[in-house]
Amino acid sequence: MKKVTALLMSLAMVASLVACGSPAASTAPAAEAPAAEAPAADEAAPADEASAAEAASGEKTDITMWCIAVESDSNRHSYEESIKDFEAAHPEINFTWEAIQNQDYKTKIKAAMAANEMPDIFYTWGGGFLKEYVDAGRVYCLDEAFAEHADQLPENMLVNHKFDGKLYASPNTFNVVGMFTNMELLKEAGYDKVPATYDELIDCCDKLVAKGIIPFGCSGKETWCVTEYLESIVEKSVGAQQMKDMYNGKAAWNNEDFINAVGIFQEMIDKEYFDPEGIALSDNEIKENYKAGKYAFYINGTWNCSDFVNAGMGDIVQVAEFPVINADKSKLGELVGGPNDSLAVSASSPNAELAAKCAFELSQGICHYGYLDGNGLPAWTPDYDTSALNPLTLAVVDIVQNSNATVLFGDNFLNADNANIYLDYVSQIYASAIDGKTFADGLDADLKH
Amino acid sequence: MTKLYSNKVNIMLFILPALFLFFLILVAPIFVSGYYSLFDWNGFGEKTFIGLENFRELFTSKSIGFKKALGNSLLLAFFSVFVQLPISLGFALLLGRGRKGERAFLSIYFAPVLISTVVIGQLWLKIYNPSYGILNVVLRAIGLDGWAKIWLGEVETALGAAFIPTLWQYVGYHMLLMYAAIKSVPTEYREAAMIDGANEGQVNRYIVIPYIKPILKVCTIFAVTGSLKSFDLIYVLTNGAPLHSTEVPSTLMISMLFLRNRYGMGSTIALLLIVLCFAFALIIEAIFRGKEDR
Repeated sequence: MKKVTALLMSLAMVASLVACGSPAASTAPAAEAPAAEAPAADEAAPADEASAAEAASGEKTDITMWCIAVESDSNRHSYEESIKDFEAAHPEINFTWEAIQNQDYKTKIKAAMAANEMPDIFYTWGGGFLKEYVDAGRVYCLDEAFAEHADQLPENMLVNHKFDGKLYASPNTFNVVGMFTNMELLKEAGYDKVPATYDELIDCCDKLVAKGIIPFGCSGKETWCVTEYLESIVEKSVGAQQMKDMYNGKAAWNNEDFINAVGIFQEMIDKEYFDPEGIALSDNEIKENYKAGKYAFYINGTWNCSDFVNAGMGDIVQVAEFPVINADKSKLGELVGGPNDSLAVSASSPNAELAAKCAFELSQGICHYGYLDGNGLPAWTPDYDTSALNPLTLAVVDIVQNSNATVLFGDNFLNADNANIYLDYVSQIYASAIDGKTFADGLDADLKH
Repeated sequence: MTKLYSNKVNIMLFILPALFLFFLILVAPIFVSGYYSLFDWNGFGEKTFIGLENFRELFTSKSIGFKKALGNSLLLAFFSVFVQLPISLGFALLLGRGRKGERAFLSIYFAPVLISTVVIGQLWLKIYNPSYGILNVVLRAIGLDGWAKIWLGEVETALGAAFIPTLWQYVGYHMLLMYAAIKSVPTEYREAAMIDGANEGQVNRYIVIPYIKPILKVCTIFAVTGSLKSFDLIYVLTNGAPLHSTEVPSTLMISMLFLRNRYGMGSTIALLLIVLCFAFALIIEAIFRGKEDR
């Protein structure tokens, strides 16, 4: 009897394993996924009909979202508030969301894209990151849903989210690279205002070093932090348009101005303007050092404004634009950054049209609360009271209002493969393992356009 | 019973679930990796068949740096076999003689194996921290300021600094395997050798170590293949930085798959890792068999 039972159990196990296999429909290959182009009326209709039918029957429509606003993220509060408003306004939607830490999110979204198991709405960066998914037909076109918001979302905020004239994500906030300056430390070097010219900056750094104060703190462990410094220097040496052309492959990296800019960055390292320990530290550790008064300057995204204000540094820290290095090629108002953080809709969403409307509403809310919290500037035109904004964010508003060109962060501008090749070279520059010429030649040879 | 087992259908039915799982979990992914390694594919878009181009690029591209990563893994394997295993053997021989507090020592040496690798990584990150890490603090306290370094941030020291916790973590694991084998050595052998005048070192050399050779072979295979597959601690400590000086094939594979969206290249690295692990296991098997034959 026992033997018969054992045999039956074995058969049951095999049968259960077979039964656990995904049905053919759920593993449809990428090519069979819904097209990413603007939804044809006949494609969109079933989703609308389904939603209408569900609403009529009192059933809620499920909408899911993934983002990177984890508990420690400065944007967490803006997401929570925006979602709270959204849920109150849409009782007919059963909204669930999940926040994943930045680096893990990139891994998770890649795996979900590969398996075609995306949430309805997902956080994305603009530029090359989004474009790869758009090219693969995994992102729903938002043109139709955008029409309702065209008067609140200026066209110039959509530059990093439009491909072939079609919009694929709704931007939340707008951030640029700012030079955060600890004025108390600068006073020790005899400066009572942020250096406005490159010569003043160098003089200030020399005086800080002489006083035993480290001018800059930069994480070498997270190479994107190095790009915030390097790209600021490069842009103010070669100009915004030339920089865009280099990223796009329209201009060679191997040009005198670029090589000189890299030389300037490496000279700053040689002159001990940078904390040598920074190469092994994370950005969080560097930021903590900055808050503790270890560095005079911290060049990073303006999303840090709220962090510094919340740390009680609102009166000590000032934010400014990196000064111009080569006035023949660049000018004040050319900035690194732009509208980047955004929400997109998965092309495989069963409620893509509804999700697109939700994405715009959520994005507008995140922008609203994020701006008031000091996490960046609004991609959406503000129609609310902004008088309580913190002084750092107001200073950034001033910088951006005087801006005439922005170039997206290099690792966002480029696609994933190129971005990592670029970051590899940047880390070699920061470690002084190569010079500007080798850097330029390497990028010309290795980046694939 | 004999009748049941003599029926081939019954045998097949018994084997089938395990065989099915074996193919599903182990064999099929190898073939799938082999298949994808022939494509230029980002994991979600259209695949382009490129034959063996990924293999060529892997060994020639400077921006990928596979040869350096493989070299690091082989170096780790070298240190595992010639540093980690002898230390483990030493501890196992010491404890195997039945000393006071034997069980307590066993638990202490084995503790790092039980602790999560991420926790160990975080502990060592604190030890190596250039500002407040205990290593630099001690060096500065004893006047060796010049020796204080950015251990995980300098190309010259990062690899060694990442290897030390990797080797340290599994000393207890190998020690436990060897200890169990040593405990199985019949006491008559030891006593006979002692009566013949052999000292402890000679007993270990001529009786114990030859007796536990099968487990030494297993430990060597684990150490070498473990080094080739090493990932978690390196990922936590340096993630291949600085300048890829601590890169190992597994971190490179993750970078290709999830950062650079090069699924085809990632599959190529995965396939090569499998092949290398099998090859080294066979080589070690052959070496030990050769010694036994002599």
